[in-house]
Amino acid sequence: MWLYLALVAGMVLCGIQAVRAQRLIVAVLWLAGVSVLVAVILYAMNAPLVSAIELSVGAGLVTVIFVFAIGLAGELTRDLPSLIPRPLAWIVSIVAVGWIGWLLWPAAPAPTDAETVTLQTVLWESRAVDMWVQIALILAGVLGILNLVVDAPAGKEAATLERIATPDDEVAA
Amino acid sequence: MMPALSVQSIQIVFAGIVLLFGIGLVGLMVTRNLIKIVILLQLMAKAAILGMALAGDIAGKPGLGQSLAVTVIVVDTVVAVIALALAVQVQKTWGTLDLNELSTLRR
Amino acid sequence: MLALLIWLAIGLPVLGGLIVAVIGDGREKAQHAVAVGFSAAAAVAALALLPQASGAEAVSVSFGPMFGDLTFVPDGLAVFLAAVATVVGSLAVIFSVDYMAGEAQLGRYYSFVLYFIGAMAALALTGNLFFLFLFWEITALCSYALISFYNDDPKAVAGGIKALIITQLGGVGLLALALMAYAQTGSFEISTFLAAAPGIPTAVLGLMAYGALIAAAAKSAQFPFHTWLPDAMEAPTPVSALIHAATMVNAGIYLLARLYPAFADVPGWRTAVALVGLISALIAALMAIVATDLKRLLAYSTVSQLGYMVYAVGVGGVFASQFHLLSHAVFKALLFLAAGSIIHALGTRDMREMGGVGRRMPFVRNVFIIGAIALIGLPPLNGFWSKELILEEGLLHGPAWAYAIMLVGVALTALYTLRGVSMVFFSQDGGRQAHDAGRAMKISLAILAAGTFATWLFAGSFSRMLAATLPAHGLHELTVGHLAAEVLGAPATYLALGAALVGMAVWQWRGRLPWAARSPGWLAAASESGFGLETINRLTGAATQKAGAILQRTQTGQLNWNIAGMAFGLIAVLIILAWSV
Repeated sequence: MWLYLALVAGMVLCGIQAVRAQRLIVAVLWLAGVSVLVAVILYAMNAPLVSAIELSVGAGLVTVIFVFAIGLAGELTRDLPSLIPRPLAWIVSIVAVGWIGWLLWPAAPAPTDAETVTLQTVLWESRAVDMWVQIALILAGVLGILNLVVDAPAGKEAATLERIATPDDEVAA
Repeated sequence: MMPALSVQSIQIVFAGIVLLFGIGLVGLMVTRNLIKIVILLQLMAKAAILGMALAGDIAGKPGLGQSLAVTVIVVDTVVAVIALALAVQVQKTWGTLDLNELSTLRR
Repeated sequence: MLALLIWLAIGLPVLGGLIVAVIGDGREKAQHAVAVGFSAAAAVAALALLPQASGAEAVSVSFGPMFGDLTFVPDGLAVFLAAVATVVGSLAVIFSVDYMAGEAQLGRYYSFVLYFIGAMAALALTGNLFFLFLFWEITALCSYALISFYNDDPKAVAGGIKALIITQLGGVGLLALALMAYAQTGSFEISTFLAAAPGIPTAVLGLMAYGALIAAAAKSAQFPFHTWLPDAMEAPTPVSALIHAATMVNAGIYLLARLYPAFADVPGWRTAVALVGLISALIAALMAIVATDLKRLLAYSTVSQLGYMVYAVGVGGVFASQFHLLSHAVFKALLFLAAGSIIHALGTRDMREMGGVGRRMPFVRNVFIIGAIALIGLPPLNGFWSKELILEEGLLHGPAWAYAIMLVGVALTALYTLRGVSMVFFSQDGGRQAHDAGRAMKISLAILAAGTFATWLFAGSFSRMLAATLPAHGLHELTVGHLAAEVLGAPATYLALGAALVGMAVWQWRGRLPWAARSPGWLAAASESGFGLETINRLTGAATQKAGAILQRTQTGQLNWNIAGMAFGLIAVLIILAWSV
């Protein structure tokens, strides 16, 4: 139980830092931190496969793509005031999410159902349609990306962690 | 394999999910940068992934919960990738990622 | 077989509308052919339903637990109105082949007309109150689209919006009725509601009854909602004939007739209904006397005749009202289409510029006069029989003062009709060029004119069909022989004929009657303002559009506010859940 407490506390802290970060790259790093901790929690919850997928995809792939995109699009240049007053946002969020959370507060877990125990059997047999849809989704996503990004500027290959300057803007306004 | 979860552990994880979701929601209401929004969406997606796995455990169908968690991971990743590609294109076309300037619905 | 016919009657026009739109505006002849073909096929299907009418539910499509089942019940009332809608619809479409020849955006026109015919047939045939509301709203949408068909004319657009707002506000009454029926009986089915009506507490039933009356009055342009129909005359004339004379405006009467057994015992309801009909009949007739626009004259006449039908329902003559609905649909469509030929030929709607057209358009003149005779209610045309039946019911079951006013209405009807006929055909020649009606127009006109001679002969089978399939209404069969005996034998008939003759005489000798010459002054001013109600309706329309503009500010298009909106919505849902538990 203490393990969970520590992991969850760490996760929430990383989340808060991700929201508060001024620079996008820093926010992405905190997001990666959240990913890692989620993966560990998933492992602790007897979901090793999901944990592996989350680690590689969430903490790996998504972070790399974010860095890519931020390199292409550039960082925030100034701190913009929010359109909604912050206190209002906090209150609405706390009330809405908190209330639902309180309504859904979990009690004791039900006994494990024998057929649906292993992820592999469920994934490939009962939820086969899910898998096909996901494959189609991934293909669609890849095609969409190619379509959108295919004429990216030449500086793409040189994007690294240190280069956080705005690229040449071809403002076609 | 780790031992099965106790009630307190479930409650702790659930509280974590709720908090993470709420933080993401606050951030969505407050931020004005497109890429930041994608980051926050990813944050809420993490909460959803945990939520799916946890729900499976609570209902006694861990396999089902985990497969749904995998689905959420795939979907959210694809969404993030496409959203980022769109954001990059928006930046190239209009030179700004600020929501207020991009909003074209006039009052 | 029954189910197939029902689906054909409803589905063929919708399918035709889609095909016409897909064909595109480049192929006009194909569009005309498709429209005529599909509407005629639907008419045949609906007519084939007539002998097979039964009170049992023929089709039932389940939509899940929330909306109940979409049921179609082909009882007498339903197939009758469906047949009227599809037959008059196909005749109007045939007329449009000539009238709308060469018009731009023909696909839009035909699509909406066909969708309207399908929706009207569905409205008539359905047995589920919620779906009745749905089809009711679809007909209102098609009506709006067709009134504003010439959408670069600001008057047409204004007329369309006005009609839409007024009928939609009335539709709220119907929705309230449907929801209350569901709350009381647990189902949207009309048959369930009619059976359960005696058990519903009077207060609720009263609310439902008056809600139905409001919806019907708004849809049928009765007092106090009568101002939208004259302004709807900006629509192309076949549309006016179909929607605003023969079918959509009858939906209100249909609603009242169908739900009559449930509401008949609500205190004051029948009197209110009769009163609404009465007032409409009277003031519309008064407004018609001073009208100068031919279509507005016919519009006022429609409101007036609908008033007669509503009055009939109010005094308990459900069959009489439906019988007059049949007659009116035929002769009013005839009058509108004939007027359409004249307007198409002369290029003007002002009657003062017509005059003398009778010599150049003999066919149209003759059919118009036939329609006018039916409208006045002279034998042996169908208008005579149905109007006399209504008046007789009124004399037997209604208060005497109401009957007297209706009698005055008959005189006024004769007056404005004769005035109209003489202004258009027999007075000083306006000098405009005119050609007689085209072939397609003549076909429709001829069929309708024949109808005015013939439809009253179906009284026997019609009443038998209604009596057999609508047990809740307590109707009895009335053979043609009985009808003739009743009408010819009743003193009410001769009173009415006398009134009609008085009305015609007043017009003929108006030169000799000084008071007749003077009164039009104040009458014209009063009718312009719709007897004061025009202001209210205009304000309502303006208020609705202002409210829309204010609410538009909530659609900021900014993500942050949208998310906040979602969170607010979530809180609202949770509050409602917490309250109801």
